[in-house]
Amino acid sequence: MRESRESGGRGQDRGRKKQYKKKFLFRKKKFCKFCDEKIKFIDYKDVRLLQGFTPERAKIFPRRISGTCSKHQRKLMQAIKRARILALIPFTAD
Amino acid sequence: MLQYEAVFIAEPAHTDEEIDELLKGYEQIVNSAGGKVLKVEKWGKRRLAYSIGHHEEGIYVLMTLECPAGLIKELDRRLRMNERIVRHMAVRVESELQLGPSPMMKPRPERDDTLGEPSMAP
Repeated sequence: MRESRESGGRGQDRGRKKQYKKKFLFRKKKFCKFCDEKIKFIDYKDVRLLQGFTPERAKIFPRRISGTCSKHQRKLMQAIKRARILALIPFTAD
Repeated sequence: MLQYEAVFIAEPAHTDEEIDELLKGYEQIVNSAGGKVLKVEKWGKRRLAYSIGHHEEGIYVLMTLECPAGLIKELDRRLRMNERIVRHMAVRVESELQLGPSPMMKPRPERDDTLGEPSMAP
């Protein structure tokens, strides 16, 4: 087992990737909303936009689920935190 | 000269005149230090997302200003000293400087409209 894994190396990895792809063939590709809409700057005053990224428990929507790119996720985080300070959006859902 | 955005939340008990007076005071401070108030926006009474000092509502005011770096400290101090101001925040704006109306001033789409339209239609 171990030997084959070592010798297989990349080839096997690629095989696994294919399998993975097949499994999730019907999953929609995620994309960064901000890159897509060319929003350069995320405003902390835009409550409606921010609320879309703080669902239910009012936690910040993680990147791995929302698909936001890291650059925009950082800016989004900053905006959400500012909006929270101003009581525009909640810190927690009560 | 740097550009800042300051938002403060005043107690809901303020009357419109009192808010204007407050603003006039702050504008004077800014002007006397060689700064300039670029925009003032009153968002009016809004519900707070969480209660601050037993207040459930607050009167929001946004000021966009241009001033030397030291002044914002003074403004910040004054806002903190005023006990009738529940919360305040001043942040630097650079390329994000917006002189047009902020998203807060946009009328609420959809919900209000859809409620209004059917009743208006025959």
